[in-house]
Amino acid sequence: MPRFNFWAVVMILTWVLLFVLLFIPVGSVLVSSLFDQEGQLTGANYLQFLSEPRFHRAFLNTLVVGFGGLFGALLLGSIMAFCVSRFVIRGGKFVSLLAILALVSPPFIGAYSWIELFGAGGVVRGFLRDWGINMPPIYGVGGILIVFSLKFYPYVYLMVSGALGNVNRSLEEAAEGLGLTPWQRTMQISFPMVFPALTAGGLLALIHAIADFGTPRLLGRGYNVLATEAFTLYAAEVGSNMSMATTISVILILLSMVFVMLQRYMSRRNVYHGNMINKPIRIQLRGWRNVLAHAAVYLIGLCGAMPVIISVIYSFRKTNGPVFQDGFALQSYERILFNLGDVVRNSLTFSVAAVALIVVVGTVVGVLVARRTTFNTSLLDGAFMVPYVMPGIVIGIAFIAAFNTGPIVLTGTAAIIILSIFIRRLPYTVRTTASSLRQISPSMEEAAVSLGYSPFQAFLRITVPLIVPGIIAGGMLSFVTAINELSSSLVLYVGSTMTMPVRIYLLILDGDFGVAAALSTVLLLLSGCAVYLAFRFMGRNEQALL
Amino acid sequence: MSYLEIRNATKQFGAGFIALNGVSVAVERGEFFTLLGPSGCGKTTLLRSIAGFNDLTSGEIALDGSNLRIVPPHQRDIGMVFQDYAVFPHLTVFDNVAFGLKPRKVPAAEIKTRVTQALEAVRLGAMAERLPAAMSGGQQQRIGLARAMVINPRLLLMDEPLSNLDAKLRIELREEIRDIQKQVDIATIYVTHDQEEALAISDRICVMNAGRIEQVGTPQQIYGNPQTRFVAEFVGTLNVFSPGPALDGMLGQLGLTAPAGATWAVRPERLDLAARGGAPDSVAVLDGTVTKYTYLGREAQVQVETPAGLIVVQLANPGISATRSTGEAVAVLVPRDAPMAFGADGVRIGG
Repeated sequence: MPRFNFWAVVMILTWVLLFVLLFIPVGSVLVSSLFDQEGQLTGANYLQFLSEPRFHRAFLNTLVVGFGGLFGALLLGSIMAFCVSRFVIRGGKFVSLLAILALVSPPFIGAYSWIELFGAGGVVRGFLRDWGINMPPIYGVGGILIVFSLKFYPYVYLMVSGALGNVNRSLEEAAEGLGLTPWQRTMQISFPMVFPALTAGGLLALIHAIADFGTPRLLGRGYNVLATEAFTLYAAEVGSNMSMATTISVILILLSMVFVMLQRYMSRRNVYHGNMINKPIRIQLRGWRNVLAHAAVYLIGLCGAMPVIISVIYSFRKTNGPVFQDGFALQSYERILFNLGDVVRNSLTFSVAAVALIVVVGTVVGVLVARRTTFNTSLLDGAFMVPYVMPGIVIGIAFIAAFNTGPIVLTGTAAIIILSIFIRRLPYTVRTTASSLRQISPSMEEAAVSLGYSPFQAFLRITVPLIVPGIIAGGMLSFVTAINELSSSLVLYVGSTMTMPVRIYLLILDGDFGVAAALSTVLLLLSGCAVYLAFRFMGRNEQALL
Repeated sequence: MSYLEIRNATKQFGAGFIALNGVSVAVERGEFFTLLGPSGCGKTTLLRSIAGFNDLTSGEIALDGSNLRIVPPHQRDIGMVFQDYAVFPHLTVFDNVAFGLKPRKVPAAEIKTRVTQALEAVRLGAMAERLPAAMSGGQQQRIGLARAMVINPRLLLMDEPLSNLDAKLRIELREEIRDIQKQVDIATIYVTHDQEEALAISDRICVMNAGRIEQVGTPQQIYGNPQTRFVAEFVGTLNVFSPGPALDGMLGQLGLTAPAGATWAVRPERLDLAARGGAPDSVAVLDGTVTKYTYLGREAQVQVETPAGLIVVQLANPGISATRSTGEAVAVLVPRDAPMAFGADGVRIGG
């Protein structure tokens, strides 16, 4: 039968794709970590990692910022989720918007804006000094943790508020009827119900904190983590040490995998499917409690969105070269227009190309996974988890290791940047397509067949229109990730393939904050449009951003 | 030759499970034919084989004299109504119903009149331009019905169309389905596990069990004259007598005989109660004591402990005076033509 052949071909192509873009790069990283600079097979890199204090520190620091970011995000995210889903908060939609802003802005913009406010020459610090209050600058581990907490809390917030909204109120009423106090009720009924969401949101925060490269680089001031070490070793002008960089990459992958396993283990028994007959209601608080709840929610929301607000304001400030002047002007935008058009163009072309690939391949493979269960699709599902645990910097290094020499040489091309984005985002699209397909009853297509449409036509006229809005929305969200990607592009770019996030990063390093802010604002505007379109197509669904 | 003929239909899933085991049925033009049985009995598999959604392992299906198995499902010209409605959520009610007319190259003006007629028939005329998502289950199934009928199919298949609806609506809609089917006169195969529904709606019923046919007949034949113990128990309820001297005595009194090893049973509504000692001559009497009385409005069920086992007696129109209390001594009256005998293989003896 011809249909069987089509899907068999898709299956084979999928495996080829995974092999070339995933297994070869990961394999190359592994292999490279096992050879020294002279090409001798050795375990010396790992021994060096174990023996050198610098790497010990980086490893410990990674754990510190990872768990620090995790707990900060859990704290802020839980407070916000609890308040928004259980109390009447004025402007609740606005608060969610603030969380989305924090989520779609590139993390290094956060670092840079907090430097503007609380750095050595920070505005707020200067202001406070005038009042006689001397506060330390934000640099170092404290600053990183603040930025991570405020950057990653939306993961927890969106996950947990979704789960809290799904706890059947009858359960809490039943507990009340059995004589539990409100506190006991929260701890013994509601908490276990949202525990899987808490761990899932926490895991996202943790993985992103470990993978983040820009924030420790800009704010750390010598505070090294594994991601910065890997990049330094790779990018050093003198004494670039690829095999050590790959060794650290392997350790980063293993670390992320351990945390993914841990999260799965922790929430293994806690998946509840409640009926939603009795939906939770929001309580109207009175007096100081009401003020406190509002203050907490708005403080977290505004602080999280602060970087965005700051970069938008600063982008309109008058500048003289890299130095800010009093007053407002469009100079920074003029400089983008005249000098940085190619960077914007690069970002747009790469992202659009990557998203187009993601949507087409992701949809076809998603159909394969959902509808052709006879194939070994669970293995495929598992393979698609791999990019999830690979930090951007590792993907970058892995692609360099795989495609620098050998049969396929891609270094320095646009293709390598597009493909690195493609492989990281593909799993998401495959999973969402497959799950939306599984929600469409097969009898829908059968009905069309019984009415006289061939199976392929039935698929085209019934199933496709039903999943297209979701696919477009997913594509828009992939675009947001693609256009904001810094760490892998930073490893993979050459002069002619520079993207906006890379340029912003370099501008901040050069101290040219005005243009950086303007470029960030452009980036934000593009992301905002994409999120808006996504919500138009699938309804307002913040959780799809995760 | 019948309109639809199925001969020796066998369907095997995987290595072990046989869903259909040599099933042969024939359906006439305009007939309302119901496949009745518990879940897993093969009724849905048979229906889906007729629709073409799964192919038989072996056997023949012929519609109007031509082999149906070689025709791909979308060219079979068979309308189907689904348990989960399968209404297209992105199309309006009108477009849903018109969907099957488009590949048939029906002119636009004719589509308009035919769809409007079909929607009137299912009483959805006022809702043509609405999207089905917000509509009730009953309304969605009406769309499904109109959509399947409007193409004037050669055969109409319904796969438990009412099982997701609530009890009142189920009765209402099954009457409508019955009326519409008689009007358009399309041979219909209807799958259900609800015996009351099957009795109410069908011209003929085919009771299936474990991939085989137990009995085919009119509702009266199926209920009143079940040919196997399975049919008797699945359609209606059944008291089974425990063997022993009490049963033998009763059979002797009635002049009934059956081969050794036969099981005797009786339907509760064929029995009556009397005060002890006061029985007419033409019926056998089992003395017993009341163990439970259940009042159901238009009937009452009295559970009586007798020497021949626990027997349920159903009393029609129970008044206040019919109320029995636990422990009360009663006589169960068994008319001569009420008991049925089944052989060890479950087949009716002398039915």
